[in-house]
Amino acid sequence: MQLISSTYIAKAAIKKDGVIRHELTEDNWLKECYQKMELDYPKFHKMDNLSKMAFLSLELMKTSAVFDTIEDDTVELIFANTSASQHTDLKFIDSYQHQGNPSPSLFVYTLPNILTGELAIRNKWYGENTFFVASEFDASLFTERMHHSAQNGKKLCLCGWVESKLDEKNMPELEECFLFLVAVNKETSDLAQTNFASDLIDLYKNNQTK
Amino acid sequence: MENKVFLSYGAFISPLGSTVESNYESIFQGNSGVQQVIASGFKDENWFISKIDWLKENRYNNLLSTALEALTKTEHKSILASKKTRFIISSTKGNITALPLDVFASTRTIIKDLTGNQNIPIIISNACISGVTAINTAADYIRYSGIENVVIIGIDTVSDFITYGFQSLFALSDQPSQPFDAKRKGISLGEACGIIVATKNKPTDFSVEYLNGTSSNDANHISGPSRTGEGLYRVVKKSIEKSCIKNDAIDFISAHGTGTIYNDEMESIAFSRCALTTVSLNSLKGYFGHTLGAAGVIETIVCMLSLQHQQVFKSIGYEEKGTSEPLNVATETINKPLNIVLKTASGFGGGNAALLLKNVSCN
Repeated sequence: MQLISSTYIAKAAIKKDGVIRHELTEDNWLKECYQKMELDYPKFHKMDNLSKMAFLSLELMKTSAVFDTIEDDTVELIFANTSASQHTDLKFIDSYQHQGNPSPSLFVYTLPNILTGELAIRNKWYGENTFFVASEFDASLFTERMHHSAQNGKKLCLCGWVESKLDEKNMPELEECFLFLVAVNKETSDLAQTNFASDLIDLYKNNQTK
Repeated sequence: MENKVFLSYGAFISPLGSTVESNYESIFQGNSGVQQVIASGFKDENWFISKIDWLKENRYNNLLSTALEALTKTEHKSILASKKTRFIISSTKGNITALPLDVFASTRTIIKDLTGNQNIPIIISNACISGVTAINTAADYIRYSGIENVVIIGIDTVSDFITYGFQSLFALSDQPSQPFDAKRKGISLGEACGIIVATKNKPTDFSVEYLNGTSSNDANHISGPSRTGEGLYRVVKKSIEKSCIKNDAIDFISAHGTGTIYNDEMESIAFSRCALTTVSLNSLKGYFGHTLGAAGVIETIVCMLSLQHQQVFKSIGYEEKGTSEPLNVATETINKPLNIVLKTASGFGGGNAALLLKNVSCN
């Protein structure tokens, strides 16, 4: 398993391969990021925060040359978090409890795997995609799935740990997206899992703290 | 040569029964769990729902506990606490009443308490393809991760959240849903819990062989089916190729068939592209409603029942062709030699998944 590129976004900055690309300081830091990256994809504004973070992270990562070779179904998407679609779930509940009507545009985002759909649509990727829910950042969940993906003939996995979670007072508790693109190899993936999982934990923690 | 993977019954709780056998009897009789539930919708509208009437409070947790208690009474009991056993849970919303707290915390606790298994449960929340994806993932753990048994749990319960949501999308039918029929108007929601045990070694009780499966994205729309059935076409084609069979080896298709205009139309197009329009097909949504994260698991259990009893169950609610491409929808429950069956699922987020099962002689 070989890391090709990683990105990390949270309120503060968006980074690629550990290097800050844009500082993000405004209240609407996702929109700020979209503007600073000079993107033109109107669908972005309709997305929930999970999809927005994943979208922005991937757009930044896509400046790597390897993306020229990714097409159709050559990449498997492996995503996970702890809170599923909690943030949008709470907004949807608010729409029918306090705003008069259940909002269909919120309801469609009350599934965490919608974000993998958004990435697939943006990039015309038809490959496998799975969304897992774990109780904490679980590196072995990713390495196990990458190993399985390699055995099923895949060469590339785009993985993401993406969280948009509110606390009990409905204030943001944690919003972040850690994206990593990994080349996997059928012959070596089994033995590579333990070391790569440990590297992933370091990489994630470094991105969070720096 | 890849390790073989076998699937056997774990538990099955639906409005039609609380055991695999009682569900089979109800399906064979043509019973449906779908009934009008007064004031189930937003502004007290009445919708048709397949609801488990004995589940009162703490519904998700009670359903999960009841299913796991049933599992501990089966022959699988000895493997539940093993280090070589993993649990995979397929659910779209988990215990939604826990919000804003973790909707899956109770799932982890209940599994650990009732089975003694110390491994971290793997939770898949991939909309309506969760169940089929969970089974495919389980097979990968057995083939490639040295795991001997995977307990696959598909579960979702009906809630105001889900009912109001589908109501807001105008996706609910004001009649019991009629998958693939010309007069279909939409979904009937449902709730259920199904458990399948995937094993490396062929169990002594009834089992089927899992061949292969995969998932694909339509890359088209987050909530609308592809007009060309692209993702579904791809997963069926790939599952057939990975299983080293020809499409004419498929004896029966357990389709997703939600009963919405666009989903069922999309499926007909995909099956037509796969040259599978003459194969016997049904949707089980007329029996159980759309049980979301449970659907792929409980419908695979019913595929296993089809293989065990060599029967294709009629597709409740279907009378008249209602898709642009013809499909061989079962209008009566019939005895039929079945060797290989195809299970498919499609869902929000553009996801599609499929798997193939093979009959293994249990004599």
